[in-house]
Amino acid sequence: MERNRQDETLGSWFKTTIPFGIQYDEKWLLNLIQKQCSVSFTPVEFHYEKMQAQFFVENANIAFALKNVNGKIYNEANERISIFVDPCDAPHSVLKELRSEKVEQIKLPVKERHDASQQSLDIQRLCSDPDLMTRDTGMLRNPRNGMAASLQIHPWNMPKLLPLELSNKKPYQLHGLSNSMPNASNTKNLNLSNTEVKSAGEMDKGERLEPEGMCADRNPLCTSFPDKSTNIRAIRDRFPKLLRLDGQELPSPVTVDVDTPCVLKPCKGSYFGSDKLKRQVLQFLQQSSLCKYFKDSRNMKKLTDPHLRVQLLKHTNRVIVHTLCVLPKTQHDLSSFVVDTWFQTVSACFLPRAGPGSRSGRKFSGLCACLHPDLHRYPCQLLQSVHRE
Amino acid sequence: MAMPMDFKTYVDQACKAAEEFVNIYYETMDKRRQALTRLYLDKATLIWNGNVVTGLEALANFFDTLPSSEFQVNMLDCQPVHEQATQAQTTVLVVTSGTVKFDGNRQHYFNQSFLLTAQSTPNNTVWKIASDCFRFQDWASS
Repeated sequence: MERNRQDETLGSWFKTTIPFGIQYDEKWLLNLIQKQCSVSFTPVEFHYEKMQAQFFVENANIAFALKNVNGKIYNEANERISIFVDPCDAPHSVLKELRSEKVEQIKLPVKERHDASQQSLDIQRLCSDPDLMTRDTGMLRNPRNGMAASLQIHPWNMPKLLPLELSNKKPYQLHGLSNSMPNASNTKNLNLSNTEVKSAGEMDKGERLEPEGMCADRNPLCTSFPDKSTNIRAIRDRFPKLLRLDGQELPSPVTVDVDTPCVLKPCKGSYFGSDKLKRQVLQFLQQSSLCKYFKDSRNMKKLTDPHLRVQLLKHTNRVIVHTLCVLPKTQHDLSSFVVDTWFQTVSACFLPRAGPGSRSGRKFSGLCACLHPDLHRYPCQLLQSVHRE
Repeated sequence: MAMPMDFKTYVDQACKAAEEFVNIYYETMDKRRQALTRLYLDKATLIWNGNVVTGLEALANFFDTLPSSEFQVNMLDCQPVHEQATQAQTTVLVVTSGTVKFDGNRQHYFNQSFLLTAQSTPNNTVWKIASDCFRFQDWASS
């Protein structure tokens, strides 16, 4: 359908939704709506989506009139038909109108308006560019496509036009910048001065822009906030990477970094703490007969009897040594040991921990022992070798 | 070197502390990692597969960068630590082993030992980790 693109009063696009509209014939439904609608409308891209019937209209006046039809139309069973109208991006078919040669036509002035060194694009100047205005690009005389064109037709971008909602007259609003602007984030500086951005919400769709600097003065937006800091906050909420606003440096943005890379630290060998300790511990290990394991498991996960828990704990030197003596002969490979000396106090108590040792193929690990500084008397305390069950 | 108090009492206390503590520790480690440092003394030390981490700040940083975990404890043992070794500070040695899967890594068998010390506050007395030693059983091949 041909739309009159010369008319600069043509405004935004609106999506009309009829819930459960899938049950109605297109022609029948549109006729019904038109009968009740105070103005004549041209539906664009009528289609069914899931259970709904949807179509687009251009122009806010038409949208308003359509909204008023809600509750005034009935189906053949005399049930009320609802109709909802909401602003939206221009439909796909509209965008396709812009043919590639027209894209080429505006490429040059866009390039000239683009200060690559500053990575900035002065959209305001672009849309009032006399050079552009004189060319028969059609879409640029309708400013609503100007911004889309200017942001997309960019030296680094593929020329691909995307929907854009603009105000009735130039200059334009940010509202309507679609999510699907892939490379808009390249633009580091955004000059929106005097662009009639009326509310912060209108900037919501500029979310793919990540400017570091912005000029937003002389916008009704800026005067509607109670104070400057609220203004800054509202703008920064939408453009978190903003560093400069209206030529003024902003405090560095603070964000929450949730995606901290979490990597396991590489595992290291024995930890002794000091060389002196290392010598003492190694000497002890070589001389002691501690490196054995108990058959009677005192695994508290399985042993719940508190009486047995006490009984199985080997207490006093005499008892410990006796227990060890009745164990089968062992042969430990000290060279396979890894030792972590993980606790030292002023009284020089330390606890070496032996790692995997082999004894005729049987692995054990996790021996924990506490040694008293007087190494002539050992062991003070032997816990239990923990073997993998 | 007999203990002045009833030995059985010490053991019972140690066992109770160990069981309660282990449940809380691994639950916190897996599900509320950010709260884990509350279980440590200010100057606590962790030896993690040979890496030394000392002090609450370093511990907080370490646990923050450790991938999320799923621990399964299969073995738990404990005993009261002789007061001679701890300067009369009530201390329990807790030993655990089991399996753990850190996000992005394969499952490992692990061994862990804690020294828990009773710390008094105006309202109550709580067990806090003075020292912690953790190692994969197959650390050399990880």
